[in-house]
Amino acid sequence: MKSISLNAQHITKHFGGVVALRDGSLNVNSGEVLALVGANGSGKSTLAKIITGVISRDSGEIIYNSEAVVFNNPLAAHLAGVTAVYQELSLVPSMTVAENIWLAQEPLTKIGQVDTRKTISETRKLLNLFEGTYQSTLRPNALIDSLPPDEKQIVEILKAISRNPDVLILDEATASLDSRQVECLFSLVMEWKNQNMALIFVSHRMDEIFRIADRAVVLRNGDSVGEVKIAESSEAEIVSLMVGHESGLGRTERATLKISDEIALEVKDLNTDVLASVNFSVKKGELVGIGGLRGQGQSNLLHSLFGNKRYEGQMTLFGETLTANHPRAAMKKGIALVPGDRATQGLLLIRSILENLHLPNWRAYGFPLKIRKAESDANKIAKTLNMVMESLEAPVSSLSGGTAQKVVIGKWLLRDPKLLLLDDPTKGVDVGTKAEFYNLLDRLCETGTTILLYSSDDQELIDLCPRVLVMQDGFIKADLSGDSLTKANLISTSMGAGLNAVNG
Amino acid sequence: MDNKFVLREWWSNFNRKNTYVLSLVIFLLTTAAYLILQPNAFEEGVLTRLLTSNFRTWLPVIMLAIGQTIVMLGGGLDLSSGALVSLGNVILAISITSNEEPLFNFMIILGVIAIGLIAGFFNGFLTAYMGLQPMITTFATSFVYSGLALLILPNPWGNIPREYTKMYRNTTWLGIPLALFIIAAILLTWQVIKNRKYGRFLFAVGGKPDAAYYTGIRVTRIRISTYMISGFLASLAAIIYTLLTGSGSATSGAEMTLTAITAAILGGTSMAGGSGSLFGSVLGVIILGTIKNLISLSKMDSWYRVLVNATVIIAALASPGIISLFRRKK
Repeated sequence: MKSISLNAQHITKHFGGVVALRDGSLNVNSGEVLALVGANGSGKSTLAKIITGVISRDSGEIIYNSEAVVFNNPLAAHLAGVTAVYQELSLVPSMTVAENIWLAQEPLTKIGQVDTRKTISETRKLLNLFEGTYQSTLRPNALIDSLPPDEKQIVEILKAISRNPDVLILDEATASLDSRQVECLFSLVMEWKNQNMALIFVSHRMDEIFRIADRAVVLRNGDSVGEVKIAESSEAEIVSLMVGHESGLGRTERATLKISDEIALEVKDLNTDVLASVNFSVKKGELVGIGGLRGQGQSNLLHSLFGNKRYEGQMTLFGETLTANHPRAAMKKGIALVPGDRATQGLLLIRSILENLHLPNWRAYGFPLKIRKAESDANKIAKTLNMVMESLEAPVSSLSGGTAQKVVIGKWLLRDPKLLLLDDPTKGVDVGTKAEFYNLLDRLCETGTTILLYSSDDQELIDLCPRVLVMQDGFIKADLSGDSLTKANLISTSMGAGLNAVNG
Repeated sequence: MDNKFVLREWWSNFNRKNTYVLSLVIFLLTTAAYLILQPNAFEEGVLTRLLTSNFRTWLPVIMLAIGQTIVMLGGGLDLSSGALVSLGNVILAISITSNEEPLFNFMIILGVIAIGLIAGFFNGFLTAYMGLQPMITTFATSFVYSGLALLILPNPWGNIPREYTKMYRNTTWLGIPLALFIIAAILLTWQVIKNRKYGRFLFAVGGKPDAAYYTGIRVTRIRISTYMISGFLASLAAIIYTLLTGSGSATSGAEMTLTAITAAILGGTSMAGGSGSLFGSVLGVIILGTIKNLISLSKMDSWYRVLVNATVIIAALASPGIISLFRRKK
């Protein structure tokens, strides 16, 4: 068997004046899974992209199978056997699953035509790897455009693996997969590992790292700060390497805040194209989690409350009937929504932080504009949220993922919302920012803000929310709180099976 | 797997691969109207004469529309192809004056084709390699090409040998004019290219350039190649146009650019890239030409003719937006 080793040594990379990578080093060998860990902005995706030739390095060396190599573009890396699974980056939406998987490596007939029959049968074989974890709409001839995010991610993984790589980089590959698909991927990873592949696994999810990685390289602020053997390490050790000093990651004790008896939000028989007779009520100052597998109607529920989706049913906020048919109406009632996709739904990437923060609020600053007041308010919220930025005038695109998300949250906090709707706000956010974010939610609840939080991270829901509504297929399957709120119950109810919890 | 689902997938794939469905319907309607309004269309020999006279006039624009479609499939736009027709047209007009030196004439034709390829490379270099905005850049280079044409031949002139023009204008085979054979040959060639790697790469580059790059496709090369194909076809259009008119003018291709783009859009090609078909673009040119004929058959004032023509072009350009507006409402 061929033995593979990839060794990146002292890689540096600057983007303009910003140091993305100061001293990035890692090595990975065949038959091993290396986890690449670090907070957002620590340089791990930069390092991964340099290894696959997507961006060039300033200095440093990559030794691949004891030869110094330079990959000037992804093609060179592909040819050498180094491939990455990107997050929905490398699929062409207007082409089919089969066309995408075999793109640039099409099997040809004798006269040089693309062998469509072969691509389709080979695609079927690849799809079988994930058999049973996707809907029947995922077929070789389906358009990428028509697939949900998790199935796109599956295609992305299959596309990478179809190239028979020696080194495979999985960059946040599990971020949009549900738990069954993650299980399936992990068993495949184990198989590939046994077939002597070298794998680099980039993830924010500690439990996943501990499940499949053999070693972990930790990056902090562009430096490789440590390497640990997973079997001899603990979450706390890795987190302390990431953060630089000991810090508590999860909060284990649940917030036992005094919640008033006043009912803030009441939803009766809510129906949309996705939701089916949803009923629940939330008290003032309560933090209610919404859980379940991905895409079971959670986002749809939040968007309906925000007047962004057509619905039937009755919703009341503090006794007032909501007839929100437009986000503007919902905003007037004091509802705020932090959408799931911050890049397209939450931010104007090329505009300044100040503009983004005040996007929903300019009306409050009158005409002519009280710009000084706007700036001081923006600075105040930036301080509260502990935002790392050059100035208010910097474009949002220059911020790291965590800070960008703070801008999205900040713009709604400036309005002092009564009801805050959060659509998976910590997706792709680093651990440090998450901790800050959890504290922020606590403070908001104390001041009487009612919060509905959808999260795809089960642990987060359990750590954070005293009460969780579990959704499946547009129904609320369970209303977990107190003793019934355990991870086992959360997972079993979200899978729609074996409910040993109390019914809501 | 239920049948309804398979049917739906088939239909959505059919629509994606055959973006010309709408234009096919419009083509049938306009052609039917034309044949009804045209007196004695079905008498013997008339149909062949109509086909010959119409298609020999449309062929240069069809060439441009095909080139434009390939550039648009790759996510670009070429506003300079009409100016290239002018340039090629005047070079041919001043150089080819007799049929006694076929080799010399042949060299001139090769020279015109080379100029088209070089100009196309220049367009591609500026837009794909330097990263300049295609619409502005090719609009600017169009002034370079048409300026050169004006420099070479300030006043319309030309003396193309009769033997050459006759051959193009009047050759038919089994009642089918030469122009139709040329169109068929191009479409067949495309059908072959489309199912080769190049075709897949082209659609990928137009559909999502980043994805194509991450997959290991040389995006810049593919883009430059589309502009070169457009330049090549513009040169062929210039040759054909010169054979059609027998003379040269520095403004001969000026109006063709917009017609070609309109035809491509009417034929279902997306301005955003990655979706469309050459067959649709050919239909687009035929539709626009037939509508022009209908207008002249209806004996309108010339002022109204321009107005109706302009309205048709605006409607065609707006049609993708209107269709997606309806889809969104659903």
